[in-house]
Amino acid sequence: MSASRRRILAGVLTLTTALALSACSDVGGGTEADGDTLTMMVPLFGTAPDPQGEIHQAVEKLTGKKLSISWTPNAEYNEKVNVVLASDSIPDVMVIQDNKGPSFVQAAKAGAFWDLTDKLDKYPNLKPKSEQAWINSKTDGRNYGVYRVRPLLRSAVVLRKDWLDKLGLEPPKTTEDLYEIAKAFTERDPDGNGEKDTYGLILPKWPGTNFAASSPYNVIDVWFGTPNNVGMRDGKLVPEFDVPEFWEAQKYIKRFIDEGLVNPDWATLDTGRWNDPFVQGKGGIIIDVNVRAGELFDEFKELDRETYHEKVAMAGNLSLPDGRKFSYPFTGFNGIVAISKQRVRTEEQLDDVLRTLDRLAAKEGAILLNNGIEGRNFRVEDGYAVKINDQDPAVKVINNDVDFAFIQLGMTSSVGVAGDAYEWMRPSEAEKEWLEQRDELMNLDLQTAVHDPSLPVISQTAVERGATLNPIPTDARVKYLAGELTEEQFRAEIKRWYDSGGTQILAELQAGIAKIGG
Amino acid sequence: MATDLAPPATKPASPGDRPGRVPIRAALLRYRWLYLMLVPGLVYFALFKYLPMYGLTIAFQDFVPFLGYSGSPWVGFKHFEDLFTGPDFGRLLFNTLFLALLTAVFVFPAPIVVALLLNELRVAVLKRFVQSLIYIPHFLSWTIVFSLTYLLFAVDFGVVAGWIHGLTGGPRVDYMARPEWFRPLVILQLLWKTSGWGTIIYLAALAGVDRNLYEAARMDGAGRWRQFWHVTLPAIRPTIVVMAILTSGNLLDQSFEQIWLLTNSLNRSVADVFDTFVYYVGVQQGGYSYATAVGLFKGVAGVILIFGSNWLAKRLGQRGLF
Repeated sequence: MSASRRRILAGVLTLTTALALSACSDVGGGTEADGDTLTMMVPLFGTAPDPQGEIHQAVEKLTGKKLSISWTPNAEYNEKVNVVLASDSIPDVMVIQDNKGPSFVQAAKAGAFWDLTDKLDKYPNLKPKSEQAWINSKTDGRNYGVYRVRPLLRSAVVLRKDWLDKLGLEPPKTTEDLYEIAKAFTERDPDGNGEKDTYGLILPKWPGTNFAASSPYNVIDVWFGTPNNVGMRDGKLVPEFDVPEFWEAQKYIKRFIDEGLVNPDWATLDTGRWNDPFVQGKGGIIIDVNVRAGELFDEFKELDRETYHEKVAMAGNLSLPDGRKFSYPFTGFNGIVAISKQRVRTEEQLDDVLRTLDRLAAKEGAILLNNGIEGRNFRVEDGYAVKINDQDPAVKVINNDVDFAFIQLGMTSSVGVAGDAYEWMRPSEAEKEWLEQRDELMNLDLQTAVHDPSLPVISQTAVERGATLNPIPTDARVKYLAGELTEEQFRAEIKRWYDSGGTQILAELQAGIAKIGG
Repeated sequence: MATDLAPPATKPASPGDRPGRVPIRAALLRYRWLYLMLVPGLVYFALFKYLPMYGLTIAFQDFVPFLGYSGSPWVGFKHFEDLFTGPDFGRLLFNTLFLALLTAVFVFPAPIVVALLLNELRVAVLKRFVQSLIYIPHFLSWTIVFSLTYLLFAVDFGVVAGWIHGLTGGPRVDYMARPEWFRPLVILQLLWKTSGWGTIIYLAALAGVDRNLYEAARMDGAGRWRQFWHVTLPAIRPTIVVMAILTSGNLLDQSFEQIWLLTNSLNRSVADVFDTFVYYVGVQQGGYSYATAVGLFKGVAGVILIFGSNWLAKRLGQRGLF
């Protein structure tokens, strides 16, 4: 072997070893945050904002920090978070959407994030404004982040207003009203085409296998007086699906299905296509969140700008025919903003990060994150924000950056809660009325809200055996409604849930709730 | 350089060596450039295929990402015990194997049949046209295939569902929700999406058949059927065997997206397979260790299947893969 060839071979070998070593060295040790730059991971609903963009620059100017944000598409956010938690590159600050999920719980308990339960008092804007949301956003009794506010009550019934008007009906007040309307929508030809081709209620296939998942079924359960997920009955914690009221609710829903008052594909319709039958004039009732009414206004607007405001009506939570009323609340938050202990190591550094977040949560920051830059992409009129220059390409970029990205950083004001920022002006009277009605109903229904007491606690059994246990009651309900299981068989499935770990889950939850004094 | 690569004309055989064998050091030295060219491939496999296998160790740990590989506690075979004794295992195994069996029986032969049919087409233009057309489904994602299935089989507006309803006169069937229709739908989707693309390799094998053989067969009085049976089929048999062995390793892999999209509360009892279970437990529930154990079990089963079918092929007198 000549000298030159030996050198080449040596070179190749060195290179190979170096590659192999660098691959190994990814494991272990993280780097500390530096004081001027804040790294963040935040969900994204559109295209990622340019760090040189006007909003990004304005936010940096407000906080006095350089921000390095990794915008991650919302659809894969939770999975990416799991991957990031497993990797070594945890950012300083990250939005955690599923702060009850096993991977976050494990990481938080292992000390990956700062426990902020007693730390927020000196930050005027981060201090919790809603006691309920603060409790709901706890992870196993502790707050590992600042919660991102959402409305505490969003459930509502959305109906085709033109159909109601044509048949001379009023929006429902009671569950019996709803049944009558669904029946009329199915049988009395609300679209006036002379054919019996419509149905009342539109139900989708609910994603995931959790039983308590804010589905229309859960909302109806609670209307009938069941606990929300779990609740105390005679000093014992019982699940939503094992109280007498639950069976009333199932018979009520089953009546809709048996009499053909729902969409025939109710077991398979994708939630992404939930609006389609409503807009296409096949079905006329959706039980979901109140903002869906706004979505539907927008979809009708694209079809016909002249008549869209006559198409959507909304009602709040329904009472029972005997006047008792139970409302289905939401959690009041959507995930938390958590701070990494691995990157932010000392109390001083933590204080610095919290002060930065506090600035973002204050009025000036809230407006920046929710509305944009006043005088550039919006102006204020009667206390509402109105978009301006929205044909200017540069302003379009600002609007996109705000609506699809930066609003996700909002902690005290965000989607559905204007907080200190401005509510957007809705152009038509019908929509303005809807906005007012939305807030009225929210406050009214909050008085009868049935909260889920198990939100702040974690059951280890549920974490470990959820994959096996969760689908049992969830699938059994759908099968019962489809007529594939009798009530006895459904009850047998519930017993199977108890026997395969359900009893243990309830015991753990009850102990946890007792511990935090809930 | 060219002389370097070519084996030397005279072999310096040392005593005791079998003819044609060279000691390994001498071989390394003599074919150094060839071996050097092998290095990038080896590095690729080492870095991207073998090094990540280190992660399999978490199947024997209670892995907490924050604690890392070294910090997580070791638990031995706990996750495997949980898997094999758990209530899901029997159902998962049955669903997975049943789908594998259906795939082997219906989906594997489909491209062979299509390729043979195409081979009999004598109009070259038509043949190429059909070939190009049937490749297209391969390029569509499972999400699109699912949407098409939904449009065709939806209970109220599905076109095919409507035809069947019209023909049989029975009540409208919700094919997407009935457990007994789940497997037929999966197989139909697979046939539609993969049979066309799968023909490529068989058509290539068919193109290599010596035309003289057909001529000779015709001289001996063989008709089309006899020619097919005694010339075409033997010519592509090695390809079929190799493809069969290769596919056997993937038998337990279902297309995850395909199954996931078709699953709902009503058909979950037949739809749950290892792949969707791993996703649910590992990615959604964060049970990394348990999911890895399931995946490792599946991988081992796949290796056994490959070796098994290779052994079987040799026993049956065919040439195996290795």
